[in-house]
Amino acid sequence: MKKLLNSATRFLTISLALILLLTVCIFSFLAFFMSGKSSETISAVGTTYMTGMGEKVTQHFATTIELRLSQVDSLVGSIPPDSASASSLRAELARNAKARDFVALAYYSPTGEFDMIYGEKPVLADPDSFLASMNNGDKKVAVASIATGQKDVLLGVSAEYLMSDGTLSTALVASLPADYIADTLSLYSENSLVYSHIIRRDGSFVIRSGDAFRENYFNRIQALFEEQGESGEQYIRELESAMDKGEDYSALLVFGSERRHLQCNKLPYSEWYLVTVLPYGELDQAVSDLSHAWLYLVFLGCAVVLLALLLVFWQYFRLLREQMAELEKARKEAVHANKAKSEFLSNMSHDIRTPMNAIVGMTAIATANIDDKQQVQNCLKKITLSSRHLLGLINDVLDMSKIESGKLTLNMDQVSLREVMDSIVSIAQPQVRSKHQQFDVFIHDISTENVCCDSVRLNQVLLNILGNALKFTPDGGLIQVSLYEEESPQGEDYVRTHIIVKDNGIGMTPEIKEKIFESFVREDSARVRRTEGSGLGMAITKYIVDTMGGTIDVESEQGKGSEFHVTLDLQRAETLEEEMILPEWNILVVDDDQQLCESTTSSLKSIGVKADWALNAEKALAMLDQRAKARDNYHIILLDWKLPDMDGIAAAKEIRSRFGDETPIMLISAYDWSEIEAEAKDAGITGFISKPLFRSTLFYGLKPFVNSGDTHEELQEVKCADFTGRRVLLAEDNDLNWEIANELLSDLGMELDWAENGRICVDKFEASPVGFYDAVLMDLRMPVMTGYEATEAIRSLDRPDKDIPIIAMTADAFSEDIKKCLDAGMNAHVAKPIDVREVARLLEKFINERLYRT
Amino acid sequence: MTLQECYAAMGGNYDDALGRLRSERLVQKFVLKFLADGSYDLLCRSLEEKNYEEAFRAAHTIKGVCQNLSIDKLQASSSRLCESLRNGYSPEADALAEEVRTDYGQTVAAIEAFQKESAG
Repeated sequence: MKKLLNSATRFLTISLALILLLTVCIFSFLAFFMSGKSSETISAVGTTYMTGMGEKVTQHFATTIELRLSQVDSLVGSIPPDSASASSLRAELARNAKARDFVALAYYSPTGEFDMIYGEKPVLADPDSFLASMNNGDKKVAVASIATGQKDVLLGVSAEYLMSDGTLSTALVASLPADYIADTLSLYSENSLVYSHIIRRDGSFVIRSGDAFRENYFNRIQALFEEQGESGEQYIRELESAMDKGEDYSALLVFGSERRHLQCNKLPYSEWYLVTVLPYGELDQAVSDLSHAWLYLVFLGCAVVLLALLLVFWQYFRLLREQMAELEKARKEAVHANKAKSEFLSNMSHDIRTPMNAIVGMTAIATANIDDKQQVQNCLKKITLSSRHLLGLINDVLDMSKIESGKLTLNMDQVSLREVMDSIVSIAQPQVRSKHQQFDVFIHDISTENVCCDSVRLNQVLLNILGNALKFTPDGGLIQVSLYEEESPQGEDYVRTHIIVKDNGIGMTPEIKEKIFESFVREDSARVRRTEGSGLGMAITKYIVDTMGGTIDVESEQGKGSEFHVTLDLQRAETLEEEMILPEWNILVVDDDQQLCESTTSSLKSIGVKADWALNAEKALAMLDQRAKARDNYHIILLDWKLPDMDGIAAAKEIRSRFGDETPIMLISAYDWSEIEAEAKDAGITGFISKPLFRSTLFYGLKPFVNSGDTHEELQEVKCADFTGRRVLLAEDNDLNWEIANELLSDLGMELDWAENGRICVDKFEASPVGFYDAVLMDLRMPVMTGYEATEAIRSLDRPDKDIPIIAMTADAFSEDIKKCLDAGMNAHVAKPIDVREVARLLEKFINERLYRT
Repeated sequence: MTLQECYAAMGGNYDDALGRLRSERLVQKFVLKFLADGSYDLLCRSLEEKNYEEAFRAAHTIKGVCQNLSIDKLQASSSRLCESLRNGYSPEADALAEEVRTDYGQTVAAIEAFQKESAG
């Protein structure tokens, strides 16, 4: 795992480094490429711009010169040579020329002499070509110096005027200041980068602008290159050859760090060339600012991307590490579970072998001593114990395998919490007695006794927990079971039921406490080695509670004891509870537990009985005394068996001796009273009521006193109801069984009819008037038609009383059989051998329920 | 021979039976009636005819009767036979049937001895 993590880390680190490198490379390349590209683009833009610019300036020049030439032409046209006298001609021409802003006007002789009409006399820079053009009758532009040192541009148009020397002129020449041309053509402007010169073929300036001060443009170029220690020869040659060919020329001059764009165009009407220059200095600055900004942005972007990458990698790495840790944990858990299972298997094999060995060994001993009855009995007893233990182990393993394969389901049914508590209390009693443990059951705040639950599984849960408490609590220890209800957050149809089992036994170490609900774990130390069990009990319990949607919590301290707290949200069962009302008696409850006293008095109150309570015998005696004096004796006394000052039996003796035998005294106890029954009766105890004291427990326990003024009731008869006039159909194929049942049940006052098999049972029922029978007792295994089939047949009859209570009676008591009975439509199930009280209880319950319903 | 001794002889639990039937008279009445119960004959016949379904039911009935009368020994063996026949014939059924025969013989012998003595 470590190795895997390391190699993953290495891979991640290397790929991260590579990706970082790649990113940096790509971004750098992008930056430099784009920077190069932008300067190329600037050059291309420069070329395009400059070409256009040159052409435009050239055109503008042409237009300006043409305009001026046409003005001169129009002078000649409007004032023809023979229209007036020579002097008036001159005055007329001067006036017109001045109006057109010409600074000077002169006749030009065929020999090249100026006859000034006005203005200063110019000196031509290149008189020959100008004269030749003039004599040729062309229009021409030339530049000339004047006395002030300024330059003028001369515009010549052929015209034959009579000059002052009497000869005829060859042309009329008008002057404009050179600055006018420069301004008109915007050859140089402060706001523009671009500036232009006009030069001649030999490089000399016609019009100079900007910072140029030399007389020759070629020299200027040469000088600019030489400043940087380079030669501009090549450009000059190219420029000259382009001039010779009369072509435009465009070039990028690079000297030092400076770049300038040069554009050269031939100007019309002259021997001039327009040189337009664009220094890239400022543009370059702008471009380099742009590329700097671009570079910054690129690197910033790069940094952000890198950061993001790092973050992603880091996160990924963290996730990976977490995953690895999870994986490792899962692996360990799996290994642990596997190990636990193997250990469990080996322990279990050992555990199974031990009772098996006992069974085998005891069987051998018994066989060897087959005539020694005592010995054989002893052996059989041990075999019975061992086989029970073995069965318990195997049941647990089967349950667990059901759970592990997800096959454990709940059979929801109506359950009476009273019955559940009664049954676990009665199961716990023998163990409590044999270990001399103190055992107590508390209930309070019971709003609903009947709930919907899987009774078998609920019993299993409680027995598991209680069994553990009994098992792990040493002799003389204390075990308490509490049950109470409160409102459920799931709504009014539900009731939250708390069951707490608390002991002061050996308790658990925190490690065991943590693992107690895990499968296949058992505290395997010397102190519990002698205790039995598969170690699956609590896992099964937890699973069942979970399946029921409840919770189970455990508090425990080694040496101090444990407390299990089961919380279930159970649905309230829809039963019509028998209206439980007793006469308005005064009852005294004597118990050392105040909560029990309060809860009992409130339960009694709810069934119409007034009750007082006392926490000890002394107080109780005082209260009895008071009542006796007021001649308002209590009707019944409920007395706890264990009281702080004297036990219940002694208290009863005391009461009997002081107040006589009038008032019935019921002993309340969670213990099995069979052993103390005789002693109790001698002490004057009238009867017993078993804890926990549910409302119905109290009602049924006290009901026998309703009609009997006589206080000494026969204990056994307490729960047997009167069935006089009830008719019950009994399906049973065996006549001996029938006779026994008939004998026993007839004693309760009911009339029984015998059906020898299922078919006869259905026929008899069908033939009877509606409502004739009150219930059917049904054997399951019968010839011709089984009890299941008979039940289904009765249920499918078209009679209003087809819902008659049907109670199964069978020698099989597997839970599958019970379920099958209920599935077939029977109401309940009792196991054989026949238990009259159980049968009577069920008959009463179902007959009454049905009566209430109708 | 008292009824208790009879119960001891047939491996039953007299106290249990008395607890259920509530009087010695009834216990005696039903124990004597056990001799007339036809389930055992039905069992033997069914086994001979290899009608194991019927044999199962007969064993089941014997078990039920024994439960009611607390004849524990015969109840245990008939119960085992019953289980071995629950899903049809199984190899151990023969041995178990033999056991039932022995126990039934023992039970009947005890009851007949009791009957003789109480009659005589």
